[in-house]
Parts: sequence; C-alpha cells; structure tokens
Amino acid sequence: MTKKNSYPDVIFIGQPNSGKSTLFNAIAGLKAQTSNFPGTTVAHTHSKVTIEGQVLNIIDLPGTYSLNPSDPAERVPLVHLFHEKPDLIINVLDASTLGRSLELTLELIELEYPLVVALNMVDLAEKKGMEIDSKKLETLLGVPVVLTVALHGRGVKELLHRALQTLEKGWSGFRIEWSKDVEEKVEELEKHIPEDFPVVANRRFTAAKMIEAGKLLFDDMLKDINPPLKKSLDEVRQELELMHNAPAYEVIAAERHHLALKIFEESCRVERGKRLSLLEKVDDIILHPLLGYVILILVFLGFFFIIFKIGNPLEELLLRPLDSLRYTLSLRLGGGVFFYLVDGLLQGVGGGVAIVLPYFLPLLFLMSFLEDIGYLARAGFLMDTFMHRIGLHGKSVSPFILGFGCNVPAVVSTRILESRRDRIITALMIPFIPCAARTTIILALVAFYLGPLWALGFYLFNIILLGILGRVISLFFKTPSPGLILEIPSLKIPSLKNMWRKTFFELKSFLKFAWPILIVGSVVLAFLQYFHFDRYLNIILSPLVEKALGLPQELGVTLVFGFLRKELSLIMMLQALDVGYTDLMTIISRQQLIVFTVFISFFIPCLSTVAILWREIGKKVALLSMALNTGVAVILSLIVRIIIGS
Amino acid sequence: MISLIQAPHDKPLRIVDFKGGHGIHRRLLALGLHKNHIIELDSQSIFRGPVLIKDVTSDISVALGRGIAQKIMVEIVDEKK
Repeated sequence: MTKKNSYPDVIFIGQPNSGKSTLFNAIAGLKAQTSNFPGTTVAHTHSKVTIEGQVLNIIDLPGTYSLNPSDPAERVPLVHLFHEKPDLIINVLDASTLGRSLELTLELIELEYPLVVALNMVDLAEKKGMEIDSKKLETLLGVPVVLTVALHGRGVKELLHRALQTLEKGWSGFRIEWSKDVEEKVEELEKHIPEDFPVVANRRFTAAKMIEAGKLLFDDMLKDINPPLKKSLDEVRQELELMHNAPAYEVIAAERHHLALKIFEESCRVERGKRLSLLEKVDDIILHPLLGYVILILVFLGFFFIIFKIGNPLEELLLRPLDSLRYTLSLRLGGGVFFYLVDGLLQGVGGGVAIVLPYFLPLLFLMSFLEDIGYLARAGFLMDTFMHRIGLHGKSVSPFILGFGCNVPAVVSTRILESRRDRIITALMIPFIPCAARTTIILALVAFYLGPLWALGFYLFNIILLGILGRVISLFFKTPSPGLILEIPSLKIPSLKNMWRKTFFELKSFLKFAWPILIVGSVVLAFLQYFHFDRYLNIILSPLVEKALGLPQELGVTLVFGFLRKELSLIMMLQALDVGYTDLMTIISRQQLIVFTVFISFFIPCLSTVAILWREIGKKVALLSMALNTGVAVILSLIVRIIIGS
Repeated sequence: MISLIQAPHDKPLRIVDFKGGHGIHRRLLALGLHKNHIIELDSQSIFRGPVLIKDVTSDISVALGRGIAQKIMVEIVDEKK
C-alpha cells in the first residue's frame, strides 16, 4: 500500500485501561479521551507531533484485549494494523496486570513490525508488590521496554527517544517460538498458502490467524475462493484439536498465554500477601451487595444535586446581561430585519452560553470524575441485574449514563457492546434519556414553575418509561443478550489535569458540532418570524399541537426547532409566545406546561442524535428511532392530558 | 465439577471447563481467564445479579453475568495439597 504522506505513522495500541490514551495525551496534548472504563476510546485520534526534530503522525486506537476482535470498537485497531501498515507500534501495557497484558504484546510481536513496549503505571505495580526487571523483559521479548507513569509524565521522554531509534532500525528480526507441535502445524498451513494470497503482516501470522479465526465468516469465504487451502486449514485445526483436546483457537490462545506467564514469571518478582490498600477497602464497600446500591443511589442524587446547585445561579448570572443586551438592541435597532438577524444570532450564541453551559460543564466534569476513578464499570456491575430485566446487561449502563450528558457521545459509546442486538436496543433507548439540554428544559419549566418535586417526579417517570421501553423493544429480538463480561479496573485516584482535559475535549466537540446548529437554528427562526412564515408552520401543525395536545397554536414552530436542539424549544417557546420568562404562567396553564414538557422531552431525537444514529448504527435504526420517539411522545402527552384534564 | 454459580465464596477455585459458545469463550480467553487459573468469587449482588470474580493467576477482576457464570465450570482447590 502506498503511503499517504512522508511522515511515519506511529500507532498506540494496548488493552483497555492500560493508560494508553493518557500516555497519548501526554505526548500529543489535548487530543484523545481517556477514562477508567474499559473501552472509552471508541474512535481513534490522530495527531502530528515533532520529536527530536522528526515529525510523527501519531494515532491513538481503542483498547483491545487481543487481535481477535469481539466488539465493533475492537475492530478499529485491526483496520489500522492491517490496512494502513504502521511504521511503528507503541504497545502500552498496564504493568500491574503484566501477565495478562503480555498476551497482546506477543501477538503484536508476531506481526514483525517495529515495536516498542511502554510498561505503564509501574507505580501501581510497585504498590501491588511487583518488582519488574525491564532489562530482562527486553531480552525475553526482543523489543525495547520503557517504564512509564503516563499520568505524571514519567518515562515519556525516554519512550519517545527509543521509539525514534526503533523507527530507524526497523524490525529487530527477533521471533518467539511456540511449542514444537503447534509450531509445526502452523508451518504446515503456511506452506499451503498460495503466493498470491492476501497475506496480513507475514505468512506465519496469517496462518496462525486463520487457525484462530471465527469459523462462520472466514471459513465460508475461504471455501469459495480457495477450496484446497480450506481443506488443509480444516486438517490442521483437527489435528491440533486432537492433540490438545481443545478447540484450535484455544490451543493458539493457550500457547500465547503460557509464554506470557513464563515471561512474566522470569521478569517479575511478586511479593504476595501485601496488606489491603485503602482503595481496595473502599472498593469492597462500593461493590457490597447492599451498601453498593445505597452508594449508587447517593452518587447519582449527589451528582444531579451538585449540577443544579452550580448550574442554577450560573444560568441566572449569565442570562441577565443577555436579556439586557437584547433589550438595548431592540431599542436601538427597532423592528427591522437587521434586528431579527442580530437577535437570532444573540439567542443562538447566548442560549448556548447561558442555558447549556452552566449545566453541561459541571456535568461533563463530574462524569469524567466518575469515569476516571473507575465507578462506571462498578455501576455496570451493580446495575446488571436490572438491565437484565429490560433485556440488556450491565455494559449498557455506561452509554446510558453518558446519555444524561449528551445523547451523541452515548450513541458512539455503544460500540463497546459486543452484540448488534444490544447495540440497537441501547441506541433506541438513549434518545429517551434526558440529556443536559432536556434537563435544562425540565428544570427551567417544571422545577421553576411547579416546584422541584415535580421535576423529580418527572425524572422518576422517565426512568420507569426507559424500563418499559427496554422490555418492549427486546420483545422484537429473538436472540437473548449474550450477557455481561466486563473487566473491573482497579479504583484509581483521578488526576485533576486528566479530568479537565477530558471535560475540555467534550466541550470542544459540543462547541464544534452542536453550537453552530443552535446558532443557525435561532437565526432561521428569527427570519421565519420576520416574514411571518412561522404562522404557516403553526397552522400545518395545529391539528397536533392545538387539537390533540391542547397547547397554544404558536408553539407549533418551537417543536420543529426542537428537532435542531432540544433547548431551542425552550428559548423559542418564550419567543413564540412573546412573553418574559417570569410571566409564562400568565399565558399557559400548569397542565399545558406539563404536556408541553412531556412532548418536547420525548419527541424526535435532536438532529445531532439522529445524525450520529445514522452514522453509527444505520439508516433504519435512525428512522425507527425518530418514529418511535414521536409515537411515544404523542401517546404519552395524550395520556398525560387526559389524566390531568386540561 | 460445579458451575461458578454453585461455587462457594470462601474457597479458591480452579477453572476446569467452559460450556458456552465459541464467541464467549474467546472473549474470556482474551480477558485472561484460561483453564487451570485459580479464581476467587468476590461478591455477588443481592438481586440474583452478576458475579464478580478475581483471577488470582492473572490478577484481574471481571464481572460476569449469571448466564455466563453458569457456563464456567470450576472445582474447589484443595488447599492441603
């Protein structure tokens, strides 16, 4: 394959939670996203850096346990490894789980690409009583090994230095052999691979991967394109299975495993029986069969309490100057088209700053805190039982929690789910989770006018709805969920720097992706109003808005714009009814307020969410999601209207 | 030989077999749960939830749904030996 540019590609690869993204960040600055939840880097990040005068194109890939992918996020590294042949691999290992982590390293060594090992989190390993001899490890693996603590930048300079050296020298030529009988079988298959076969990395690696490959997909393909090769593959597999009394893929996995353990034992001395550290004691309480749930509830109540306590005064503080600015402008500019343009711009820019950011920013920060200490994985464990009742399992908890921040990253993070079934169900449910924008609406309308208890009730109702929906949606899938397999990483004391980095990263992507839509939407609405076009929209929508929901006809247009960004509906509601925030209740009734909030919360996922559903899960699911949300919103609003009788 | 669900909490266990499909088996292997590993049951949530195991051999903790735990066969390690 030809190179796209002259800069060498350096990829970072490692198992989930190896601190790969933190290391990458230490080198690249504010780029990749890190956390203490297995599989948070779901998309990859590119960055250009200059090291010792040499420009490198560095790429951070999602964590992967092995080169046999089992979820969509794990497929990303493979595409990079095999199609875009990197010039250098930096394999990041969690030193505290060295034995297990070495299995991936051994697989990477089989690729015969230039490779450097970064033995990360050595401080944690030392605390666990592990004493690692990096020189010995280097000899055993035949590749440079550098000890690092990415969080504090320790060892980063040396890592880069040795990376450049390795880049220059190329592959070391060092091979690690398996036991004789397995090696012979791999060699046998290797001989049957024709010259023109699309070999991945090298012939031995290709042969080994063929033996390991999933039977369904790969074998069918091979049967069609090369029947003799398929025959020898079957023979080799059968012989291996007979010899070892285990499936062929397990034989290969066991080879790597035993080698890894051997290397681990030779290069690391473990002082067993160290005292339980404070964090481990804390962990016992967090995962306690009873206390764990009490803590879980407290964490989430506290979570929202803090956000509201920070968000509310901040919002008021920011809204005041905005309102007075608009007032001044309306006096200066009169009612011309120019005023509408400026006012629309101001509403869009200001709406983003004053309404979304006060809640969004603390939410992102707290979320990154929960992620970094490792609480999300634990929440997944605790919630697994309940998730089973709605046809999913504990791994979906993390996308759901992210959904409270913003539905868009939540949909992206469904990549960590292994089965397509779970991905679709989770993705269809995410748009029903009140994101920061909808929380803003619930707070600004329900809590402000009707009191905080109503808002809390609304939330409870929303969670019950999620449960019912999950159950109903899973009825349409015949296969059951494959079940939870989730590594629980050790609890970590988070780094403030890391948390800020992540918050900033999320904020940046919000500003880049959603803010422009918000601004354009506001300007368009302003123009619509100037040309009185909104009236036509209102008339078209009036059977739904006025007849079915019993709301003022003017609110029709706000629904259309709720599609762009949910919080737009709130801003535009006031704009459309032409009242100040504090005077709203003089125009509409309590019932109307509740019906409006219910409808706006559940109806159609916002444009950004639909776009990401389309890209991530597919067109059908995106369209289905729109239909499902709208249907549920209409039905629920009608029920609510009948119950409280407006 | 008993399944992980039936196994006692206070004794070290050895993984003997996997009864599940290939996909799940591969995933467990990739996570570092191999045959002959010594594991301990850490915690079990009250609502018949998942089990949390600590793999002593590779020093990792993994949460497993009940369905999967049922497919992992273990034996109690005799500490006297």
